Amino acid sequence: MQRHDVVVVGAGLAGQRAALAALQAGRDVAIVSKLHPLRSHSGAAQGGINAAVGKEDSVETHIYDTVKGSDYLGDQDAIEFFCKEAGPTVVEMEHFGTIFSRADDGSLARRPFGGAGFPRTIYAADRTGLALLQALWEHLGQENLTLYEEWDLTRIVVDEGRAQGIVAFDRRRGDLAQIAAKAVVIATGPAGRIYGRTTNAHSCTGDGVAAAYRAGAFLKDMEFVQFHPTALLESSILITEGARGEGGILKNAKGERFMSRYAPHVLDLASRDVVSRAIFTEVREGRGFPGDYVHLELMHLGRERIESRLQEICDFSRNFAGIDPVTEPIPVMPAQHYMMGGISTNARGETNIPGLFAAGEAACVSIHGANRLGGNSLLETLVFGKQAGIAAAAYAEGAPTPVLRADDLDRETTAVRAMGDRTEGEEPQHLRIEMQRTMDTLVGIYRNAAELKQALAQIVALKVRYEKVRVVDRAKTYNINLTDALETGHMLALAEVIVAGAIARTESRGAHARTDFPKRDDANWMKHTLAAYSPQGPRLSYGPVAYTRWEPKERVY
Amino acid sequence: MSGELISVPIDVYRFDPSHDSAPRYQRYTLELPRHTPVLSALLKIRTDLDPSLSLRYSCRSSICGSCAMVINSKSRLACQTPVGPEVERHGRIVIDPMRNLPVLRDLVVEMAPFWGRYRKLEPHLIPDPNRPMPVDRENPMTPAEVERFKTTPRCIACGSCYSACPAVEHDPEFPGPMALAKLYRFVVDPRDGARQDRLVRIQAEGLWLCLRCHLCTESCPKEVEPSERIRDLKEMAIAVQGGTEHGSRHAVGFKDNIRERGILNELKLVRQTYNPLEALAQLPQGLKIARKKPETLHAPRKIEGQAEVEALYVALDDSKETP
Repeated sequence: MQRHDVVVVGAGLAGQRAALAALQAGRDVAIVSKLHPLRSHSGAAQGGINAAVGKEDSVETHIYDTVKGSDYLGDQDAIEFFCKEAGPTVVEMEHFGTIFSRADDGSLARRPFGGAGFPRTIYAADRTGLALLQALWEHLGQENLTLYEEWDLTRIVVDEGRAQGIVAFDRRRGDLAQIAAKAVVIATGPAGRIYGRTTNAHSCTGDGVAAAYRAGAFLKDMEFVQFHPTALLESSILITEGARGEGGILKNAKGERFMSRYAPHVLDLASRDVVSRAIFTEVREGRGFPGDYVHLELMHLGRERIESRLQEICDFSRNFAGIDPVTEPIPVMPAQHYMMGGISTNARGETNIPGLFAAGEAACVSIHGANRLGGNSLLETLVFGKQAGIAAAAYAEGAPTPVLRADDLDRETTAVRAMGDRTEGEEPQHLRIEMQRTMDTLVGIYRNAAELKQALAQIVALKVRYEKVRVVDRAKTYNINLTDALETGHMLALAEVIVAGAIARTESRGAHARTDFPKRDDANWMKHTLAAYSPQGPRLSYGPVAYTRWEPKERVY
Repeated sequence: MSGELISVPIDVYRFDPSHDSAPRYQRYTLELPRHTPVLSALLKIRTDLDPSLSLRYSCRSSICGSCAMVINSKSRLACQTPVGPEVERHGRIVIDPMRNLPVLRDLVVEMAPFWGRYRKLEPHLIPDPNRPMPVDRENPMTPAEVERFKTTPRCIACGSCYSACPAVEHDPEFPGPMALAKLYRFVVDPRDGARQDRLVRIQAEGLWLCLRCHLCTESCPKEVEPSERIRDLKEMAIAVQGGTEHGSRHAVGFKDNIRERGILNELKLVRQTYNPLEALAQLPQGLKIARKKPETLHAPRKIEGQAEVEALYVALDDSKETP
């Protein structure tokens, strides 16, 4: 059995940054990842990373914008810490070698983003995530890191009240294996594939969040699901908010710049929840194009600007929609994009389980509250990845030697093998598609009690059917049909938590919009949802939101 | 936007080394809109027809680099290749795993050699010890300096170029197009302190093994143009230390050689490329050539328009911008 001081699960920006921090603290560190680190979904982030480094801007304004964007559900102490770390974090990544776009004076270029008072989104054309991921991986490559590549996490081992390691499926060998660890950091990123219409990669299946939930960690605010306003029609490929930051505008089928009705002050650069609801409303009220979409127009920006600053967007539009954004509008609709919720942590990445830490999109500190601002998630991965790595390293230093039991592994291996031995039962990808349809149609931008209850019944029924899931592929190596099954199991667990939280929260706040409870209800609902695992389904409780200086106000953009 | 469906016959390479004695092609036929990406077609096969088909994929939007494979003989991303034009041109779609890498199963290949050749080039910023980074702030870099990276920051390390490259196939010493494009990225980085060392080292470690066939540039899904960046590296390497390898001595010799008389002096080029001992080893080949073309044994006469050739050299030297 392999042993390490710190095992980080997930090799995106949060996982890599956590690993780097733990290595710098002198620990023996391994990363376990289902993808090669450079294939991580962090690399798909386009628009930029927020840091109030401009002369006219201030950390104070960044804090305020984030608090307001969160619809006052973000923890203000954590947000203050987060925004103060922004400048040093971006500078560090620049020193690691990130190739950022530059202003004429040689400083880091900045563009405006939604819900932000100043242009504070630092970028690398429209591939900021890729630029950061490359630089961090290049930097980390100089360290003595162990990498378990293409391993699927199945379980976090919690024994005697603390994390002792993990169990994961090694795709190449085709077997489960235990890895003992004094501290485990979960940084497995998004779970967007719970939805069918999502900007997320196929591999974004919330494995670490589900494993933490089953291991006894609280999940926080899972009902808050961000829908990005501008995803390419059909494929739901992301069209960055930076397109509107550069001056792109949204128009309906009547040629109206409809955002003037929803956000009269900042128009297309309102917060994402606001813009997504506006697009959805336009289409629902018959002002969309046939086939249900609106237009994102960039043509007026001119070829030079579009092709230099939005190079990837040009490629995506041309390759995946047959549209040239230089001469034609881009057909867009909102799609699932980001989970504000995740494994409940504090600003040090600590969960309610000793030895278990989390960071990045898999975690919920919470700094995004009910709605995340564009440009804050890349920053989140680096700021809190580092904190989780530091905390995990410190914990591991004094932690007892972990003990993993062989019979545990045998039991789990038997259960996994059983999926392949069944001659009847449903294939995982069919269950997955049904789950996605349920979430797309009943747990979307606008929600109501009747539809949510219907969704819960469907998800619970799918969970029962999943008990008999059947893996058809009998091969040992690279049996990704088995990966399908593992992922689907993870996602069904999380779908249930999302829906249960959404049913319970009888108000509208940020991305959670209830047509039957259209108002924000601060008296009863200014609190975090906490979901704990039970075999019967999630048990919900609630925790306080941390306030410091910002009084809740109505959000107007 | 979907349009009408076309019939898409797909022949997919299947191989499980633990069971199969030899690879085979399996035919699947799907009805799809013509703009459907090959990746979507393969995922549809997995969902509807055959969940045992194994491949790598993730983002489906040409940014993660997972789904590089050989589609109708070309190395490229499955997510970025629509089925329609392939079927219209070839009548079917034949899908193979990437070349130059061992097959682990079906379309999944062993990537370790690809990453290994890349890692050998120290692909990370090496700060100049004499030029410490500014404290608490970014290194200044002008937009013009950013331009010098060309399109190399777009590289997603998918391996398409590695799969397409004949030099990779024949020479384990050749780092491969992706690794060299990455090296270029560090060589032109104003923050990097190892520019000279990198150029000196790469001259000796495989730079001149590139065949200049341009297949890497052709296969790159992100317009990284590795072939052009390899050319730039060669120029920069020569500028730093002149020709030290056969490849670079040949290139430098060729240039100086023609300048002299306006025409190539082949005998002299041999001396310019090889040291006397090496030149001796070329003797059998030389004799063969001499038998067919005896004129190569004599230095050619200076051509009439040599002055014009000289003027061209001067003009080119003047207009040259170092990459």
